[in-house]
Amino acid sequence: MSQTRSSDLHQLAGSEIEAALRQVFPVFLAVFPFGMVYGAIALGDGLTLLEAMGFSATVFAGASQLAALQLIGIGAPVWTVLLTVFALNFRHILYSASIGRHLTRFSPAAKAAAFFLLVDPIFGAAEARAAERPLTKRYYFTYGMALYICWLASTLIGALFGSLIEEPEAFGLDFVLPVYFLALVMTFRSRRTFWPVAGTSAIVSIAVTYVIGPPWHVTLGALAGIAVAAAMKPPERGETHSTEKEA
Amino acid sequence: MSEFWIIVVLAGLLTYVTRFGGYILISRIGRLPPRLEAALDAVPAAVLTTIFAPVLITGDWPERIALVICGLLALRLPLIVTVAVGATGVALTRALIG
Repeated sequence: MSQTRSSDLHQLAGSEIEAALRQVFPVFLAVFPFGMVYGAIALGDGLTLLEAMGFSATVFAGASQLAALQLIGIGAPVWTVLLTVFALNFRHILYSASIGRHLTRFSPAAKAAAFFLLVDPIFGAAEARAAERPLTKRYYFTYGMALYICWLASTLIGALFGSLIEEPEAFGLDFVLPVYFLALVMTFRSRRTFWPVAGTSAIVSIAVTYVIGPPWHVTLGALAGIAVAAAMKPPERGETHSTEKEA
Repeated sequence: MSEFWIIVVLAGLLTYVTRFGGYILISRIGRLPPRLEAALDAVPAAVLTTIFAPVLITGDWPERIALVICGLLALRLPLIVTVAVGATGVALTRALIG
């Protein structure tokens, strides 16, 4: 009996890993060229291989790494570089506030590791997963470590060989992440506040992109959408996640 | 230690703080009021939308059109299919219009 049970467990564990790998795969297509571009630029800016890799290993956030390189290149003071990194990564505070509620099966040490890996794609994927079933360590760390290794490997390859793909645009690779996040966002459309929130965030982020420019469109657009959700009439107890499709 | 490594360490620490800071704030509150709960439930839609929506003005025409079409496709198709259709569509359109 214990044998069947352990084989059942194996199957469950296997399906968690399989689901994570299946869902992280399209993200590779976008992250790998991005990491190669970062690696190539880093070496071009005079960083050593170790420095380029060290930056990817500790920060693990491509946009802020590239912005930091640019600022270091023009001789900006350290505090400006750090402020930019913080502004670009501010959205993660919102991520950890939300996903933290779903890490109930994680020990404190596992939580500490999980938060280190909390980047845009895994946040979206883990939230979507948690809306359907309990979020397991196996799913989260398979997805997260796969992405982390992909980021380090692509940095290394970009640093050693330059960005092998001369024009990622020709293959539509620059469009993979926007469309990935679009498709991911649509999986939340049955949530009670979805359309007002997504609509507000879309309009405000576009307006801020137009008027002020990045990176502020993320923080301001997100806060506007969240404010709408907070301002709407709260649901009666027990119907936070309404199941009716509003689409 | 060179200035670059100081930046590596501090930027890494700052980024890590943002990645657990929200959790620390929330867990200090204890039982969450309904409006805060609703605000947190809105985080995925609110933040992830800001990552792709500006493509409507910063992207080229193939991207803008593909974004609208993929928004509709995502109502029916699995995620990976929507991504594949979107990226392929953009690549082909760019190749055609040069």
